[in-house]
Amino acid sequence: MSSDYEYSDDDGDYYDDEEMIDGTQDDLSGASEDDMDMDVYGGDDFKVTPKGKRKSYEVDYDSLSQSAVEKLVKEDVDYICSICGVDESVASLLLRHMKWNKERLVEKYMDNPTSLLVAAGVTAPEPTTTSAQSRTRSIDGSASRRSTRGATRILALGGSKTKSPTTSPPLSHYTPRSFKPKSDEPFVCPICFDDSSDLRTLALDCEHTFCSGCWNAYLVSKIRDEGEHSVKCMAEGCALVCPDPFIRTVLVPAPGAPIGDPTQEEDNRKAWSHFQELLVRHYVASNKRLKFCPYPGCTNTVSCPSAADKSSLTTIVPTVSCGARGIGGQMTQSQSQSGWGLTGKEHKFCFGCHIESDHRPVVCSVARMWLKKCRDDSETANWIKSNTKECSQCQSTIEKNGGCNHMTCKKCKHEFCWVCMGPWSEHGTAWYSCNRYDEKAGVDARDAQSRSRASLERYLHYYNRWANHEQSAKLSLDLYAKTEKKMEDMQITSSLTWIEVQFMKKAVEEVERCRMTLKWTYSMAYYLAKGNEKDLFEDNQRDLEKAVEDLSELLEGPIEPENIPMLRQKVTDKTVYVQKRNEIVLEDTAKGFLEGRWKWNASVEGFDEPERTEY
Amino acid sequence: MDARLRRVNKEITDCKNDKSSNIRIELVGDSPFHLKGSFPGPQETPYEGGNFDVDIVIPDSYPFQPVKMKFITKVYHPNISSASGAICLDILKDAWSPVLTLKSTMISLQSLLCSPEPNDPQDAEVAKHYMTSKASFEETARYWTEIYAGGPGSKAGKGVSIGVRDEVAIAGLDPQHVTRFESLGFPRGQVIDVLRRLNYRGANVPKITDDRIVEELLKA
Repeated sequence: MSSDYEYSDDDGDYYDDEEMIDGTQDDLSGASEDDMDMDVYGGDDFKVTPKGKRKSYEVDYDSLSQSAVEKLVKEDVDYICSICGVDESVASLLLRHMKWNKERLVEKYMDNPTSLLVAAGVTAPEPTTTSAQSRTRSIDGSASRRSTRGATRILALGGSKTKSPTTSPPLSHYTPRSFKPKSDEPFVCPICFDDSSDLRTLALDCEHTFCSGCWNAYLVSKIRDEGEHSVKCMAEGCALVCPDPFIRTVLVPAPGAPIGDPTQEEDNRKAWSHFQELLVRHYVASNKRLKFCPYPGCTNTVSCPSAADKSSLTTIVPTVSCGARGIGGQMTQSQSQSGWGLTGKEHKFCFGCHIESDHRPVVCSVARMWLKKCRDDSETANWIKSNTKECSQCQSTIEKNGGCNHMTCKKCKHEFCWVCMGPWSEHGTAWYSCNRYDEKAGVDARDAQSRSRASLERYLHYYNRWANHEQSAKLSLDLYAKTEKKMEDMQITSSLTWIEVQFMKKAVEEVERCRMTLKWTYSMAYYLAKGNEKDLFEDNQRDLEKAVEDLSELLEGPIEPENIPMLRQKVTDKTVYVQKRNEIVLEDTAKGFLEGRWKWNASVEGFDEPERTEY
Repeated sequence: MDARLRRVNKEITDCKNDKSSNIRIELVGDSPFHLKGSFPGPQETPYEGGNFDVDIVIPDSYPFQPVKMKFITKVYHPNISSASGAICLDILKDAWSPVLTLKSTMISLQSLLCSPEPNDPQDAEVAKHYMTSKASFEETARYWTEIYAGGPGSKAGKGVSIGVRDEVAIAGLDPQHVTRFESLGFPRGQVIDVLRRLNYRGANVPKITDDRIVEELLKA
């Protein structure tokens, strides 16, 4: 579902119960319909950021469809056309050569248009004297050789000035004339040696002529197998790049052309669309403000200027969404309504890193450090250890398969808290001390051995809680299904309508969202240096966790028909409260990053070195 | 007929008909897509007089993708792996053009032997040797040509008459240096290995202390 922040903002305040009944459905369907409209049909630049005031933990971003990016590309091309007075295909080649840096392009073009045109493969260089020099060694002139320079060659393509002095001057080692079709001799394609009289021949401006079949196979192989968007002429050493219209002529048959081999046509069609995608990808990859949606099959792009600079990643967590939903972004409104599980998930991702869909409130570098730590082999054993637990009374091994932390042992009926393993009776309503690791307990650990054990335990403490929330979030699909069932039951057993039971769904979504936040707060707390700031952070974390567990328990519990109105009231209240607590955690953490308030106990990329502190 | 097959057949025929280039290409088995090429070492180089065999595999997408070539004959050259025969040449990779043929590629290999590119090596040790002392490098390359490629020094062809192959010469080292460290009680093979790795040749000799070498020898 779309972000709740979105419409809660419109209302100006959080829901009270009244609004839940009257307003929610309108908002729900209204907001999601708007979203879907934009997702599916929107080709223009549009905003999916929440309307109204931006929260401190949110960033400004735009979502762009492939056609929208193509439009941006077109704008750049048109700009270059008008400034440099070249045609579209030339402008496109120049831009690709200059990695879409318009300013540098214009500068270079004004400086020396010929050399830029040559470097970009638009025109062939003037024949130099080198071609006239006799090459004593080579036998037929084709024996140019220079050893490969691997990756550096790519650089050489980009910044043409870095040509190694040892390389022979380009184009010195072929004789254009030998490829020119001579009118008195029948044409033989120098590649496939086909000499049929009805051969269709093609050539770039360099006049290296080959048959259309070879051009076709060559272009398809370059585009499909090598993902190349700047395909050079087939002649050896010729640096001319095929302009887009040329590629189009070869791959896309002109209307009314004889129907060829259907598999060949299909390959060509795919290659042509892949080529266009490659251009868009190159444009996006060259532009720091843009990023591709990483979800499989999705072709959207997100523009997030505020996160373009790496240094900004220490102060913001640029969580963005491309606007599409589901696999390939093809979900329609009805589909996303019927199965609100993982399939209809929003394409949320972090603009700053590749980690997880949403790692707020913690910044990329800390999240990355944490995940690396968790992945380390040394922690594998701990991980196994932390996925199952023993009942503190009968020692049966227990695996948690539901969201709530209130556990009841199947065997001995012992009730305990999954997090701290203490008896649940001590938890119930009293002070909930489960989210904090009592670091004072480790004070007595004087010798190095026990200190290392304490640090391991410290890690395990945070890791257990982190993994616990991750596990719960993974089980959310189950919870969705269960809740859906309950909602149906409720409609049957009570007089509530479909609209009126939506509070359950909303609560489940909120719990899932908050668990994500909670999960990452533990990775943050692990690295936070001891002090008042950390205490405040953990206080907020504790409040949120307590609220989430309470709500979670309400949702998991059985439903008695007579209690439904009360349950509804409770769940609704709790949902609003949880939402508020979540906002507080996110807001406060984000502000802390902006103010540089957080201090770490380890060295974190982009931050100052921490002062030496004991954990 | 399949364009690739037509092209390869024509290339093989062309090569057979062209006696002037000294390039030979023959089939390895029944398939025309796995071939063996050979050419004489270029004149006025350490490879002169040798005969070099090259393994040629023609990929499915030939000629739009480059042929796969590697030396079967062992070659001492900065851009050719002395162990595997792998070749570092741009036209076999990203500078390939469909216009190039098996013959022209073989000619390129021949001319690669003429002018090594030690700044862009395939075999770093050989390249280092080349950079420190070209004369010593050429001597070793000549020796390799002799024993592996049937070069002029070998009396009755393929190096058979040379009873024991001189390991020191293969590694391109000074026999005196090897003997000196051998006399300290280290096995000969190990001494050769370490000295080769440290590039203990020509102008490098005064730069590397004996202590350093002994240290390396003890490590091994």
